[in-house]
Amino acid sequence: MQFRLEKRPEPSRLMLYGTPVAAVVLTMFIGAIIFSLIGYDGIGAVREIFFTPLTNAFKWQDLGVKAAPLIIIGVGLSIAYRANVWNIGAEGQYIMGGLAAPWGALASHGAGGWWTLPAMMIAGVAGGAAYAAIPALLRTRLNVNEILTSLMLTYASVQLIYYLVRAPWKDPMGMGFPQTRRFASEALLPNIIPGTIVHAGVPIAIIVALVAWFIMTRSVFGYQMRVVGAAPHAARYGGFSENKTIWLALLVSGGLAGLAGMLEVAGPFQRMVPGFPTNYGFTAIIVAFLGRLNPLGVIFAGIVMAITFVGGEIAQTTIGLSNSATGVFQAMMLFFLLAGDILVRYRVRRVTPQVEARA
Amino acid sequence: MPNRLELSGITKQFPGVLANDNVSFAVKPGEIHALLGENGAGKSTLVKMIYGIMQPDSGEIRWNGEPVVVPNPKAARRLGIGMVFQHFSLFEALTVLENIALGMDAKIPSRELEARIREVMQTYGLALDPHRTVATLSVGERQRIEIVRALLLNPQLLIMDEPTSVLTPQEVEQLFTVLRQLASEGCSILYISHKLHEIKALCDTATILRGGKLVDTCDPKEETSRSMAEKMIGTGLKDIVKPAGRSFGEPKLVVNRLLTHRTGHFDVPVTDVSFTVRAGEILGIAGVAGNGQNALLDALSGEIRSEDREAITIDGKAIGHMDTTERRRHGLCAVPEERNGHAAVADFSLSDNSVLTARDRLGMVVMGLINSGAARTYTGKVIADFAVKALGPAATAGSLSGGNLQKYIMGREILQKPTVLVVSQPTWGVDAGAAAAIHQALVDLAAAGSAIVVISQDLDELRTLSDTLAVINMGRLSESRPVAEFSVDEIGLLMGGVHGAEAAA
Amino acid sequence: MSLELTIAIIVTVVGASTPILIAALGELVVEKSGVLNLGVEGMMLVGAITGFVVAFTTGNHYLAILLAAAAGVATSMIFGFLTLSLSANQTATGLALTIFGTGFSALAGQGYSARPVTLLGPLFPAELATHPIWRVLFGYSALVYFSLAMVFAVWWFLKKSRAGLILRAVGENDLSAHSIGYSVIGVRYAAVAFGGAMAGIAGACFPLLLTPQWAERMTAGRGWIAVALVVFASWKPFRLLAGAYLFGLVMTMELYAKASGGPLSAIPAELWSAMPYLATVVVLVLISIRRDASTNAPACLGRPFLPSN
Repeated sequence: MQFRLEKRPEPSRLMLYGTPVAAVVLTMFIGAIIFSLIGYDGIGAVREIFFTPLTNAFKWQDLGVKAAPLIIIGVGLSIAYRANVWNIGAEGQYIMGGLAAPWGALASHGAGGWWTLPAMMIAGVAGGAAYAAIPALLRTRLNVNEILTSLMLTYASVQLIYYLVRAPWKDPMGMGFPQTRRFASEALLPNIIPGTIVHAGVPIAIIVALVAWFIMTRSVFGYQMRVVGAAPHAARYGGFSENKTIWLALLVSGGLAGLAGMLEVAGPFQRMVPGFPTNYGFTAIIVAFLGRLNPLGVIFAGIVMAITFVGGEIAQTTIGLSNSATGVFQAMMLFFLLAGDILVRYRVRRVTPQVEARA
Repeated sequence: MPNRLELSGITKQFPGVLANDNVSFAVKPGEIHALLGENGAGKSTLVKMIYGIMQPDSGEIRWNGEPVVVPNPKAARRLGIGMVFQHFSLFEALTVLENIALGMDAKIPSRELEARIREVMQTYGLALDPHRTVATLSVGERQRIEIVRALLLNPQLLIMDEPTSVLTPQEVEQLFTVLRQLASEGCSILYISHKLHEIKALCDTATILRGGKLVDTCDPKEETSRSMAEKMIGTGLKDIVKPAGRSFGEPKLVVNRLLTHRTGHFDVPVTDVSFTVRAGEILGIAGVAGNGQNALLDALSGEIRSEDREAITIDGKAIGHMDTTERRRHGLCAVPEERNGHAAVADFSLSDNSVLTARDRLGMVVMGLINSGAARTYTGKVIADFAVKALGPAATAGSLSGGNLQKYIMGREILQKPTVLVVSQPTWGVDAGAAAAIHQALVDLAAAGSAIVVISQDLDELRTLSDTLAVINMGRLSESRPVAEFSVDEIGLLMGGVHGAEAAA
Repeated sequence: MSLELTIAIIVTVVGASTPILIAALGELVVEKSGVLNLGVEGMMLVGAITGFVVAFTTGNHYLAILLAAAAGVATSMIFGFLTLSLSANQTATGLALTIFGTGFSALAGQGYSARPVTLLGPLFPAELATHPIWRVLFGYSALVYFSLAMVFAVWWFLKKSRAGLILRAVGENDLSAHSIGYSVIGVRYAAVAFGGAMAGIAGACFPLLLTPQWAERMTAGRGWIAVALVVFASWKPFRLLAGAYLFGLVMTMELYAKASGGPLSAIPAELWSAMPYLATVVVLVLISIRRDASTNAPACLGRPFLPSN
């Protein structure tokens, strides 16, 4: 049976929205089978990782808290990737935003007020954006590939955290542990729902996604991102500057990553610690793809990823499945999504053998 | 002595066009034979069949007297046919030696190959260092790589496809020396070109094609430029659709000493271009592809901005420094040659494609937000007025056929009622019906008072549309004169590169 | 600084640099063919766990290395299939591969933590290998000599062999190579597989050469350094060798800088750790400023092969 790939006249909407869902479902099936084959409780693993977080109401707050940074960063990346600007350093920009915030918190410790949190937010955005400006500058001035520069800078930023919590910012009352002081109350994110850990970052994430969706679909800025990514020559013809677009893409995605960093540090962490880099910046790349580079899709994808994280922790306690299974499931989802991508543009046709006329 | 190559009754049909119609001619051993014709005359199709890239539908090819079939380029090379293409496929980061090695059919050890290459270069006076990286070479030097590669096969027939289009005059002379030497050794040369003065200087025989048919096989040294041009272009002219003696309005577009800079190896910049177009006037710019048309269009549309603000003025206002959006605001719209990826985005809907150029002039943007309703309405009007066969404003540009997409693009610009419209190849690849519609729309726009510039390779189109005509060659523009004043051979000569000042001897 | 200390430093550096060198050599070949595989870290971890488990169960180190290479190839084929046959985005696929490799290796390594294996012993006989002076040259295991031999092998392959020429052509101008008649996809599959094998072997260096046990994420980001190293070395094998040892030196230096107490010890440890990455950025900038074609990336790097017909 011979198959051939034939280009579709129009990209298939069905495939566009269906493949992320199909990827998740396929992962559940194939994942269950594979895990069973290698000796784990395959069905149990899928149940605990994918379903229990949804059915167990106590876990919903964890979902929200885990999803929030993924959504914020994912939205930023979806904007940049649309413009064909491959910001891989979101983790580094997240870290820088996370560092800018405690800098403000520690500087104003005890002397702050209602303005502390907004100021920290601005600092977070600025920190992330400034860090993303480096790859932007190198790309627009010297045509240096932003994938490599943003990635290298991520690793440098991780080292910066280790240095800061070990030396200048170390908590004087921390008994020698490498960490900063706990932030004063005005520098902490308020809890939205009392009795839970759901902090202000969660609704902020939803708002960010909705605003981004509106901007990307309705505004000239969104149009610019899309057209530069789809057809750079046509974009020039239409009057859009490629360099300006690269700057905007990196500043926006960097700023959002920085915002997520600040919210994480002021919310769940409440101080800066070496364990701060949790790879959200990298996971958000998967979130952006899974969400088809669409801010609304990113909400869906962020929640799905959060489910797998929370589910992974649940599975660890209930059926003893190592946390690392989560990574395997996440990677599988992305693999299936990427594999299915081609079906958006191409149709699979069965080829009946026929005598080929001499060209 | 049998002919080296003989074509009898060669015919090739493509959907919608008869590329070669019963073409017959012969090339003698040691002869330099020109293949002459405008774009679309059928030269490259014919040559592709000789080189085995395609097969004729009917007709016979004889090689040294024996009938042959050439199923692919490898077979052609084995027969002894070498070809130097117009567009080189070279690997920039690799050396000359490595490039040649990659293109060889046989695997030859590098030392031996280098020795053979040096021998060929020595014999024919082609200076090249085999160890230099291709990226560092000039275009003339790169062509030498292709020539050396072909010569290594000891060809009996060497096909040269538009070889001088990117060479300096000195490089052209060097090339001619090589070709003459080859011919004197018995190798035949098939020289494809449209440059009449070169053909007169170099070639022993010329076969002229027009519209897929053979017009004549003649001796260029006996012919005059005029007679050859006439055969190439045809004497049936003057299908003027407009009454002569129309009066035009004020000068709308004035271009003064416009120039662009070379952007890449194969880019032809424009130099010292000046012309004026009045309201209601259509200026046609004729020329064979690759003579600076793209640079000219980009310089006019605003994709390339000029250092001199006054180089381009509209209604007296200097716009040379403005970008495309600002120029549109001042009434200049442009349509580039390439539909897909330049004039339109295949993945976007037609409505989104309208936003690309019309958003400012037609008020589709309010406070940074796009009024998609306005875009849709406008697109619907374009679709209706220009009879675009599409499912609606939401259809993607990529789903339209070439002709329909071109109608949409032209309609999108024309319905913006620009003061000045510049279009390049407006009906390339478009069926006759759509082409006629586009032509009529352009004429109507001019009648309404706009100034129009049409850049085209299609002389028939230009003679239908233009009031005035100029010819672009190697980035320079001839004087523009009323189209009726041009004689056919003048056009042919100008397209072939002989401007008034440097008439061929 | 005494001779003793110098030799000790050299030996440590060699050990630290070898896995990076091996992984980077593999990635260099992959990138020369026009493919950017960011999944090196993941493939290394798969190689590490495979090498560990085989060594642990059979005690045969060479078998362990062989199977680690095979595991690397198998993992790389996921990437190969997605990006070459299905034209998926190379960046996303590579990252997914890293996440997969990290998770898979951790899962497979469950229950093996804190279980020891023996280190792969030195290649040369004990009199040379443990000699206080000659051990600088002869004290290493086979993997180290393998890595050095591979530098030459890769250089010769790319520069002198016809197959290497074809691979470079594919990475430079895939459409032209295709029109000449070479199988672009086939060449790239082979390159990706080679990269996978090398990454697998590099991963196996960790439990078999450096720390004789298994720990999750034990490659600690070396895969990313290998990717950076390829760019740092401008895709040239001998520069890669120099760069790998330079990076290894920097990674080792902080320990000795602290110990020696000179002005170098004032540099914070974290800056040492960050240096390979910052150095790569600097080199990228320098390359772009010079704009010399021979030091630029393969022209097709990262772009999928899409023949128009």
